[in-house]
Amino acid sequence: MFGKGLLQGLGITFKRMVGPNITEFYPEEKPNLPTRVRSSMGLERDKCISCNMCAMACPNSVIKLTSEKNEANKKVLKTYHMDVGRCLFCGLCTEACPTKALKVTQDFENAIFEAEDMHWDMIQRAERKRKVE
Amino acid sequence: MSIEKTEELILNMGPQHPSMHGLFRMVVHLAGETVTNIEPKLGYLHRGMEKLAESRTYSQFIPYTDRLDYLASPHNNWAYVQTVEKLMGVEIPERAEYLRIIFGELARIASHQVCIASTALDMAGWSAWSYAFRDRERICDMYEMTAGSRLTVNIMRIGGMSAEPPEEFWPALKAFLDDTPEMLEEYYGIFFGNEIAMGRLKNVGILTKEMAENLSITGPVLRASGVDYDVRKAEPYSIYDRFDFDVPVRTGCDSYDRTIIRMDEIVESIKIIKQAVRDIPGGPIMAKVPKVIKPPVGEVYHRVENPKGELGFYIVSDGTTKPSRVRIRPATFINLQMLPIVAKGWKIQDVVAIFATLDAVLGEVDK
Amino acid sequence: METLNYLLETLNNLFLIIADAIRGLFADPHSVWANLTMNVINFIIVVIIVVLAALILILLERKVAGWTSQRPGPNRLGPRGWFQTIADALKLMGKEDVTPAGADKFIFKIAPMIIFCLPMMTLAVIPYGKDMAPINIDLGILYFVAISSISTLCFLMAGWGSNNKYSLLGGMRAVAQMISYEIPLLFSLLGVVMITQSFNLGVIVEAQGTIPFIVLQPLAFVIFMIAGLAELNRAPFDLVEADQEVVAGPFTEYTGLRWGLFFLGEYGNMTAMSALAATVFLGGWQGPAILPGYVWFFMKVGVMIFMMMWVRWTFPRIRIDHLMHLAWKVLLPLSIVNILLTGLGIYIYRFVMGG
Repeated sequence: MFGKGLLQGLGITFKRMVGPNITEFYPEEKPNLPTRVRSSMGLERDKCISCNMCAMACPNSVIKLTSEKNEANKKVLKTYHMDVGRCLFCGLCTEACPTKALKVTQDFENAIFEAEDMHWDMIQRAERKRKVE
Repeated sequence: MSIEKTEELILNMGPQHPSMHGLFRMVVHLAGETVTNIEPKLGYLHRGMEKLAESRTYSQFIPYTDRLDYLASPHNNWAYVQTVEKLMGVEIPERAEYLRIIFGELARIASHQVCIASTALDMAGWSAWSYAFRDRERICDMYEMTAGSRLTVNIMRIGGMSAEPPEEFWPALKAFLDDTPEMLEEYYGIFFGNEIAMGRLKNVGILTKEMAENLSITGPVLRASGVDYDVRKAEPYSIYDRFDFDVPVRTGCDSYDRTIIRMDEIVESIKIIKQAVRDIPGGPIMAKVPKVIKPPVGEVYHRVENPKGELGFYIVSDGTTKPSRVRIRPATFINLQMLPIVAKGWKIQDVVAIFATLDAVLGEVDK
Repeated sequence: METLNYLLETLNNLFLIIADAIRGLFADPHSVWANLTMNVINFIIVVIIVVLAALILILLERKVAGWTSQRPGPNRLGPRGWFQTIADALKLMGKEDVTPAGADKFIFKIAPMIIFCLPMMTLAVIPYGKDMAPINIDLGILYFVAISSISTLCFLMAGWGSNNKYSLLGGMRAVAQMISYEIPLLFSLLGVVMITQSFNLGVIVEAQGTIPFIVLQPLAFVIFMIAGLAELNRAPFDLVEADQEVVAGPFTEYTGLRWGLFFLGEYGNMTAMSALAATVFLGGWQGPAILPGYVWFFMKVGVMIFMMMWVRWTFPRIRIDHLMHLAWKVLLPLSIVNILLTGLGIYIYRFVMGG
């Protein structure tokens, strides 16, 4: 009969109306993201050997690092900047790192107010994170 | 005494419009409510990808290919990566091939869900849209577990895959596959079986077989006009020749068939994924490729079956680490030609419906 | 037991008791001044009902929309979100008042005001309880349909006065749609009028003492609901304000409180149409004596409104030529057949009962 599809549609909607909700109530409950989520990057200064592989792997020249030689003639990291405004969050830099010093972290609340905050000083961020923990 | 004169109304359905599937502009010439001519004006999302490719190395370009057809990004990765592998003559391990098929078919399901949702939304079927997107979240969760990103996944590398799926992936995939019959029933009940939707879509926007072949249309739009052509069967790439699946073909040539054929394709994709999960071998996921990729001098063209049509990459290499020219053959840009021809004589509401069934993603049209 | 009965009687006649008390304040309870005062008070009550209905319905619509998509709807302001309308109203009042440059200023500004007055005029003739219609008109149904058809003119004024092609398209669609659906709307009510031999809404409600008219006239009820939805421009017949084709139709150029008035007018009209359906087909204020009459009335109106919202969030939108086809080729013949069958039924009934 004409209208069978209409009544079926009404039935489906009614079933969903009286059923449970699937909303996640952010910001009261923060989601638990999987470990591989590329929401942000974090640097462990001690593991970095300043090989510059991350800067070479990046498609958009986001990473700039400088290093100096210490007494034992080994490279030590001095500064490490990422210009996140140009970053694609593709993860090629974290894959290229041979010592796993640069890793993805699950901080997704990265919103800022000023444009200058898009230049991340990774060493400072690591210090701040360690102090918070 | 006045002389009455009727004028054509020129309506600009501009880049900011609640239903234009991206930044698309159409100048519609109307006589009353009937369309006499449509002029599509493109280019609002042009980002210069083909030019960008000339200053990036082969591996650095992979994240950019994600952004072409952002609703089915593994396929874009797959097309590009297979083109470079064809140029270099690299054989990739079996497990990587099976994983590529699984992720590719999951992307096909996700893209078709978005198409069904957008078609319903363009006709004010708000509930159908929310149900399709709720189910797509599960596929996005599976991508998040493996690759780290929900939309632009960057999951394939030259020589294999970027990462092995974690342990939680396989139970989640199985749970998803078990829920699909119910999911498709729901879509049918709320949208396709609805008499109002059928009245909106049936016999609207006829694209005959000859017209489709002359305009070199590919993808589900072509298969809804009765032409049995699918790159996966015509020129099998990867290991598609080992799988047992049908290519759905419908002969209605109207908008209803163009939309419901995507439901048929979801059913076929589920068959392929189940076979892949059953047959996947162990082993490495990355072949032995050099760190710095320098293909030999030459040019190659390779094409895959995107959910929207045939996506092709043509690469000219001059022996250095950066390509000399990359040309992308977009599926939707060439399919979009049919819009002015098919929509003549229909009403504005039909134009919106026809455009929705084309499933245009502006990232691919404008590159 | 007797106190319970007494309590229920008082609650049922609460407003009549208050009205008598106010009349008693005057020297002559039926003088011109007493009547005038009662009319002003009735008017204020109707305005309060319309505004309250509109405010509650805005939020209820968003909540029902959320429930169909497994979401809770607005839930931040107030207990479970029920104060959201206050925030919406404040936001709308704070917006900039823009009149387009080439617009016809008088028509542009008048259209929302008129459309907000219409529900107030139509809701004044509906009996909310026994003898509780604010204005008791003998031609109640005819007055109701006549006043609610003025909204066609308002949409045309809004569409033309905005100097915008989208608005013009929306306005033209509105005129075509609303004129076509007036006729099945009126014809479906004629069956009820034939049975009760009166246009007065109070008489119609009391004639349903034994059996509500939805049982005697099911076809008329269905036609009335479909035509009513089309008159109100609600889905699946909302081509006038179709978001996806003509960006908000006649309402494209309206901002701030002007748009708010259109919105409130739509919800007021929805309440009025549901109230008419509840009065004519569902038995109005009648119901088992556990609750006062007006509570039953508002519950019935609530059920009708819920059904309208349920239909809106489920069905896609219909195309304009299917719309015209439905009105002229399907609903009109069906409503005429309904009148024929009602007439035959009355004749046979009189023959069997009287002879």
